[in-house]
Amino acid sequence: MAGTKREVPSATMSSDAAADASQWRSDSVDVADQPSGPGHRQQGVVARHNPCRIAVEDLNFYYGGFHALKNIRVNIVDNEVTAFIGPSGCGKSTLLRCFNRIFELYPHHRATGTIRMDGANLLDSSIDLNALRAKIGMVFQKPTPFPMSIHDNIAFGVRLYERLGRHDMEERVEWALRKAALWDEVKDKLRSSGSSLSGGQQQRLCIARAVAVRPRVLLLDEPASALDPVATLRIEELIHELREDYTIVIVTHNMQQAARVAGYTAFFHLGEVVEYADTNSLFTNPQQKRTEDYITGRYG
Amino acid sequence: MTRYQKRKAINCFNMGMCVATTAFGLFWLMWLLWTLVSHGVGHLDWQVFTRPTPAPGNDGGLSNAIVGSLLVVGIGTLVGAPIGVLAGTYLAEYGRYSRLGAIVRFFNDVLLSVPSIIIGLFIYQLMVVTMGHFSALAGGVALALIMIPLVLRITENMMRLVSDEMREAAAALGIPRWKIITRIVYRAAMSGIATGVILGIARIAGESAPLLFTALNNNFFSLDVLQPIANLPIMIFQFALSPYEDWHHLAWVGAFLITFAILALNILVRFGLRSNRQEQ
Repeated sequence: MAGTKREVPSATMSSDAAADASQWRSDSVDVADQPSGPGHRQQGVVARHNPCRIAVEDLNFYYGGFHALKNIRVNIVDNEVTAFIGPSGCGKSTLLRCFNRIFELYPHHRATGTIRMDGANLLDSSIDLNALRAKIGMVFQKPTPFPMSIHDNIAFGVRLYERLGRHDMEERVEWALRKAALWDEVKDKLRSSGSSLSGGQQQRLCIARAVAVRPRVLLLDEPASALDPVATLRIEELIHELREDYTIVIVTHNMQQAARVAGYTAFFHLGEVVEYADTNSLFTNPQQKRTEDYITGRYG
Repeated sequence: MTRYQKRKAINCFNMGMCVATTAFGLFWLMWLLWTLVSHGVGHLDWQVFTRPTPAPGNDGGLSNAIVGSLLVVGIGTLVGAPIGVLAGTYLAEYGRYSRLGAIVRFFNDVLLSVPSIIIGLFIYQLMVVTMGHFSALAGGVALALIMIPLVLRITENMMRLVSDEMREAAAALGIPRWKIITRIVYRAAMSGIATGVILGIARIAGESAPLLFTALNNNFFSLDVLQPIANLPIMIFQFALSPYEDWHHLAWVGAFLITFAILALNILVRFGLRSNRQEQ
């Protein structure tokens, strides 16, 4: 890996996070592969504010015979926004799709290595996928409201994990819609179809849907690329607010967007993380030639 | 002639041919419908629905054939539609990338084009010979075999139209696979799947060849699925070939009823399910 890393926090796991590692298991397999304290701080730099939430180590990803991610090593900071930028096909979305293992829907998509969160390797076959995805929510490029009412779009996910009474459910739906800054626009038509909303509203509905199950991490895969500038601005404001409560990873083609919303930024190129640093220094003082070329627009 | 004028002339010619061929097709269809209406409607009365088929020269109706057709088509649908929908679900969801899925898809396409009389003979050998007599049940099963590949094909296609993004979004919420299928994909593809089933019903309602070897016919009113049963297509075949004038009239009425029932089903598909589709 070619990257120099500065200011990137190491994988310091809080002890309580390691303690509840067993929650990941669908069975009672002993957790043998927890990160072992100091030996794990391979970068030697401790976070300024927040500990590391997800630590990616030696991750390789293959689409059949195509080696899409090469020895990725990235630490995602807790309660921060991390942006992945890079040209198309560089692997940034692929890495995002590893965090919740959504790639497993397709045959011949394969990931090796470690993605450590709460003391467990998320790529481990003993991880319960549905429990994992309840903790790591995802919003996609294209808004995908389910074919049901606005209310049910949000309640559907919640019902999988919690048994809420009618009143509690109404409250949860309102809470999620407020979080996604959509409540005022839809409060009078919760029973109408989710697809009756505009594109920007649909995307915020998808964010509300992801937030409603109260995940700890939110993955955003180019969430604003299909939206007009006004809707994009709303989504960006939303990301700012959600940062308080969630760890957010956002993939974006738009470098200004990364600069606006993210605390940390990783630049991907040809399946490698070329450079990973806090957003300000990555954009103002890139250490790698390739990063500089990309952010100054010299890449073809 | 400039290039632009030439292009316009070609466009005019092509458009004209399209209109002409459409008119040609519609002309025969309209003629057919008109023939059925003019010969059939005149003899349509309540007796047709209340009395069974008569002996030549006597009064009678088609009640046994109408009820028999409903029964046989009902059995065919009850057997065929669930199998078709479930197999289509398998191909669209679980078997999409598997070798077994590809094999099933291939043989389904073969089954789709098997002549219906072969299906009739097959069920004759399988059920009629084994049971020792013709029966409504055998007729229903034969119709089901005709319906399955059609419903399967349409179900798979309709479910494939539901975007993978939708499936990913659902999976990303931690929704289990079976719930994604039953609660989200089915809901999104509902009108398409219903269309497939209705078109399947329309297809088997007019089949006569498979019933010839299975349900046969019955001159009396019967609801017994283990006995031969009257049905409209075979009744038309028998009555239309007979030398009796009044049987001819009944055959026309039967043909009219079948054709307009199928037409009604198709219209239902086109307009009844359209509002549903637009909502998505």
